[in-house]
Amino acid sequence: MFGGLREKLQAARNRLSGSIQAAEEKQEAPVPQGAPARETPAVPEEQRSSGTAPSFVDKVKILIKDRELVVSEKDVAEALDELEMTLLESDVALPATDAIITHVRKGLVGKRRKIGESVDHLVVSALKTALLDVLGSGFDLTGYIRAHPKPVKILFTGVNGTGKTTTVAKIGSFLKKQGFTVVIGAGDTYRAGAIEQISVHAERIGIKVIQHQEGADPSAVLFDTVQYANSHKIDVVLADTAGRFHNKANLMSQLEKIKRVMKPDLVVYVDEAVAGNDAVTRAFEFDKTVGADAVVLTKADMDSRGGAAISIAHTIGKPLMFLGVGQAYDDIMPFEPAKLVDELLDGES
Amino acid sequence: MENTMQPMDQREMMTLQHYLKEYGQQAEIFMSQLELLENGRLEAHAAIEALEAMLTAEDNTLLLQIGGGASVRAKVLEPEKVLLAIGAEVVVERPNKDAVEFLKERIIEMEASQKKVAETLDRLRSQMNEINKRLESGYQQTMAEQDAD
Repeated sequence: MFGGLREKLQAARNRLSGSIQAAEEKQEAPVPQGAPARETPAVPEEQRSSGTAPSFVDKVKILIKDRELVVSEKDVAEALDELEMTLLESDVALPATDAIITHVRKGLVGKRRKIGESVDHLVVSALKTALLDVLGSGFDLTGYIRAHPKPVKILFTGVNGTGKTTTVAKIGSFLKKQGFTVVIGAGDTYRAGAIEQISVHAERIGIKVIQHQEGADPSAVLFDTVQYANSHKIDVVLADTAGRFHNKANLMSQLEKIKRVMKPDLVVYVDEAVAGNDAVTRAFEFDKTVGADAVVLTKADMDSRGGAAISIAHTIGKPLMFLGVGQAYDDIMPFEPAKLVDELLDGES
Repeated sequence: MENTMQPMDQREMMTLQHYLKEYGQQAEIFMSQLELLENGRLEAHAAIEALEAMLTAEDNTLLLQIGGGASVRAKVLEPEKVLLAIGAEVVVERPNKDAVEFLKERIIEMEASQKKVAETLDRLRSQMNEINKRLESGYQQTMAEQDAD
């Protein structure tokens, strides 16, 4: 997953480390004969005025300070420009790229490298902090369900063909394994075969599905699903809906009606990671039109660039909840920013 | 070879048909993804060819296709400079050589993605074959039962 981005980030990390090391070597280079003597560290004003010679401790302090490396803007400017290009080429949205660069710059420029601390450690730490800040904190669905009155109603929305129905089944299977009772509402009454598809999934994973016939009002199906959940004390309602584009007014007003009728606790936007920046743009438009509380990105295993996963939370301000990583029901993983950042940055430099 | 398959009921046959239909739909999505990747790869190859030819073109003149089979002779003002969409809807100016390198890297990325999609498609197809075999055996079994009646 995100192999291309990992390679590029490793290269950017090496480039940044290389730039800082080069600056350090320049600072430590011996003074050539005939050249003006290197400036000695300034003696504090109070010492000079008191006329006393610096103590041993002061000398050591000065020595340590002298050996420390202070990273300047100039030392990293070129490497940061390259990092910016790397992120943009990986389809990381411009606002997210800007935020990462600003964070890395802030994390490095003016920073004193501690004695014994490797330059690479300094760089990795700055990159990790920057990425974590942009990725947000993710969304702990099981924690959310435990903390809220049951049934927790989750409405899934998104454009056509991104794997919404399969995602509903995968999340259903995930929640069942976590010990929750789940019911699925077959709210995609528009696409031919969608009810059949969700029914087969539900049967395979052993989850009850509430369905009407094709062409029925999805609001009615999902209302019935919530009623069923209430009367059977079910923990979670997963509501599938038909795929739609945000600019189709009639379909969007249908979604508004569904929201009014079933009053979801969470609206989850589903899109595919391979769509890159398009997924980010669509999520933004959906959030503007019907609102979204969290995002699921499917087909992340086929996405080498990772742009959508990196930028979506920062760009739309809503957390990434799950990543779809394959065809099986278990191929869905809760999005854990720290784990992803470690995977992207850890390894041999 | 001995048939070790258990007899199938109508309900199982219907479920298998649903699986087959669903896998078929998934396979179609992956096939269209594969087609998109192939188009992108061919487009990048064509762009590399054009960029390289631009540097050697006499008098900077090229044949520019304007659609509908029509072409015009066009003079490129700065063949050394290329405006390139690098991703995230960002366009940057790059030297011709760098743009070619960028496109070559993109081709490698697309080929890697194609390989992954093709592998998934192969897995789906082999699952579909298994289901087909099972269904076929079910049909034969039903026919045999009907003949016996």
